[in-house]
Amino acid sequence: MNTIIQNILVFAALGLALLFLVRKFIWTPKKKSAKACGGDDGCGCH
Amino acid sequence: MSKQINVALIGNPNTGKTSVFNALTGLNQKVGNYPGITVEKKEGICKLPRGVKAHIIDLPGTYSLNASSLDENVVIELLLNKTDKDYPDVAVVVSDVENLKRNLLLFTQIKDLKIPTILVINMADRMEYKGISLNLDYLETQLKTKIALISTRKNKGIDKLKELIATHKELSIEPCLDASTIDKAYFDNLRKAFPNQLLYKLWLVITQDVNFGKTDRKTFEAVEDFKTKSKTDLKRLQQKETIKRYQFINETLKLGQTIDLKSAKDLRIKLDRILTHKVWGYLIFGIILLTIFQAIYDWSSIPMDFIDSSFASLSEWTKSTLPDGAFTNLLAEGIISGLGGIVIFIPQIAFLFLFISILEESGYMSRVVFLMDRIMRRFGLSGKSVVPLISGTACAIPAIMATRNIESWKERLITILVTPFTTCSARLPVYLIIIALVIPEGRILGLSYQALTLMLLYLIGFGAAVGSAWILNKILKIKSKSFFVVEMPNYKLPLFKNVALTVLEKTKAFVFGAGKIILAISIVLWFLASYGPGDDFNNAETIVTEQYASENLSEEELNQKIESHKLEHSFIGIAGHAIEPAIRPLGYDWKIGIAIVSSFAAREVFVGTLATIYSVGSDEEETIKNRMAGEINPILGGPLFNFASGISLLLFYAFAMQCMSTLAIVKKETNSWKWPMYQLVIMSGFAYIVALVAYQLLI
Repeated sequence: MNTIIQNILVFAALGLALLFLVRKFIWTPKKKSAKACGGDDGCGCH
Repeated sequence: MSKQINVALIGNPNTGKTSVFNALTGLNQKVGNYPGITVEKKEGICKLPRGVKAHIIDLPGTYSLNASSLDENVVIELLLNKTDKDYPDVAVVVSDVENLKRNLLLFTQIKDLKIPTILVINMADRMEYKGISLNLDYLETQLKTKIALISTRKNKGIDKLKELIATHKELSIEPCLDASTIDKAYFDNLRKAFPNQLLYKLWLVITQDVNFGKTDRKTFEAVEDFKTKSKTDLKRLQQKETIKRYQFINETLKLGQTIDLKSAKDLRIKLDRILTHKVWGYLIFGIILLTIFQAIYDWSSIPMDFIDSSFASLSEWTKSTLPDGAFTNLLAEGIISGLGGIVIFIPQIAFLFLFISILEESGYMSRVVFLMDRIMRRFGLSGKSVVPLISGTACAIPAIMATRNIESWKERLITILVTPFTTCSARLPVYLIIIALVIPEGRILGLSYQALTLMLLYLIGFGAAVGSAWILNKILKIKSKSFFVVEMPNYKLPLFKNVALTVLEKTKAFVFGAGKIILAISIVLWFLASYGPGDDFNNAETIVTEQYASENLSEEELNQKIESHKLEHSFIGIAGHAIEPAIRPLGYDWKIGIAIVSSFAAREVFVGTLATIYSVGSDEEETIKNRMAGEINPILGGPLFNFASGISLLLFYAFAMQCMSTLAIVKKETNSWKWPMYQLVIMSGFAYIVALVAYQLLI
């Protein structure tokens, strides 16, 4: 039982580490950037 | 519920803007980045009188609203975008009492944007020393603002500033002067074409060299009723605008400020004469550098040893306390060791930033930048490249981040690309153990061969950085404005609070930035070294027990053999064997191959990996050294770590791009994978060739 739990925890940690690295370096979810100034887009900057 | 307002702290560099920010926010501050770019964003909360709460943003230092760098662009973008969540309810322009004339240029521009603006005149404690007196009532009337005369050093005037911020609604938003008179016809056309928009904002958008957001001059060219001018004409108008502003400022200061030169007691000129001298300047800088590095290594060793032994004890405690199993091993050998690998560098990073911060705060760093510009320019670098190259001796990551204040993109890119050549502290464990193995202990002129080799490796690193900068300068065809403006601030005693906060911030950025990556890689590496495919790995115990059945090994020795066998057939071991044909011509075996592969996460992992491979116990450094010394070259016979393979390894680590975190930060700073990939291929390719040639010549 102990071995199974420990293995599950190891693979969970590995999964999290890989997920973190992939999201960090390979696929980063695009954040909606702050609205930029300019043009007639009604941003209210002029 | 208290009301929250946005306050933007704006000012020229070296006006003590950050000191004002620290005085207002104390420890209620955080550092981040502006979205999509890598310019640092400092913000904090300050409680004001009348139950008002202020969200304060310390904007990057800028000389005017005519942007020439990414940092300055951030200021303009915020001030022009009313829908930005950080758009200021009030702008606080921080100026320095000794440079009021130049500082007021930015102030008058911000006033033209019709933002309620407070003028802070900082460093009031130096007025008597410099023979300066101010007529504040007159200045307030002329500049149509409220003035806070403060001294962050003496903690004076901060309460008045808080009071002024709290009552910002009473501030006038009337501009100081009418800039449109520089070309009335043009500005009239502009007003007609865009009747609902603020004239000065339009003017700023049209004249920027740097595009921000979606705005560029083409937007204006598309409007039929309005014809914009050529770039040259616009530049000419900008110059006219600046002259007009200075005329206004000169008139204002004629009555608002008096400087009695007779009562000024100035050491600055005398100090500058020595510190920027073409001989003494370099000599003094050299001595200061030597002292700093000596201090970093001497002072860091005690806390580093303490951290090292604490993590070793924690790892041991975890193993002995938690139930046996894979996760316990991951915690003890992967996660705790990984965390230890990050935390152990805190003392060095903290001491380095302590010294850099003291040099910056005292005003000396600007003299160094001025001094080095003469040399660096010949190699396609800027005087400002000195700071990253020096910081690179601790860690390339903060060093690459320190390139942000280099205005020219070409110079900044070259500095980013060559900085990893400088010998970082992570190379040290590798250098020290190899030098101890292959360089004899004799002395020449009182200096040991080993110390000289170490110094030579540092020089090779700097030489490679400067040499490759020269080549990159020749081959990179990037059009970029190259100019060098550096302000020489007055010499002053560093403020403890500022130095302490800088050290705290930078150390935090290192631990939580690079730290997370190193930790994740440590987990992956541990997994690859602890698991493997096939029977050789899974039946390691049976295979080794049968193999050594006749040799009467103790239980400990047998366990070590089993661990070594498992490692050899683990995923990382298989990878080591796979690359062996490529590294054999350099004099390395598969075990060194594994250490090289795993040290791609961070160079210092090399020693740790070899420690595991050679199955050593707790007395790591001594034991691993003896073990390495006893390793036999399987093909040629004789010691594996001999003079030829040792020099080859030293040179490989001197030039190779063996740091994933550095690649990540280069990607972040250049916003492209192209440059880190070039770095990886060229640096590691060059390292391979140099190591190969060295081994083949020396063998």
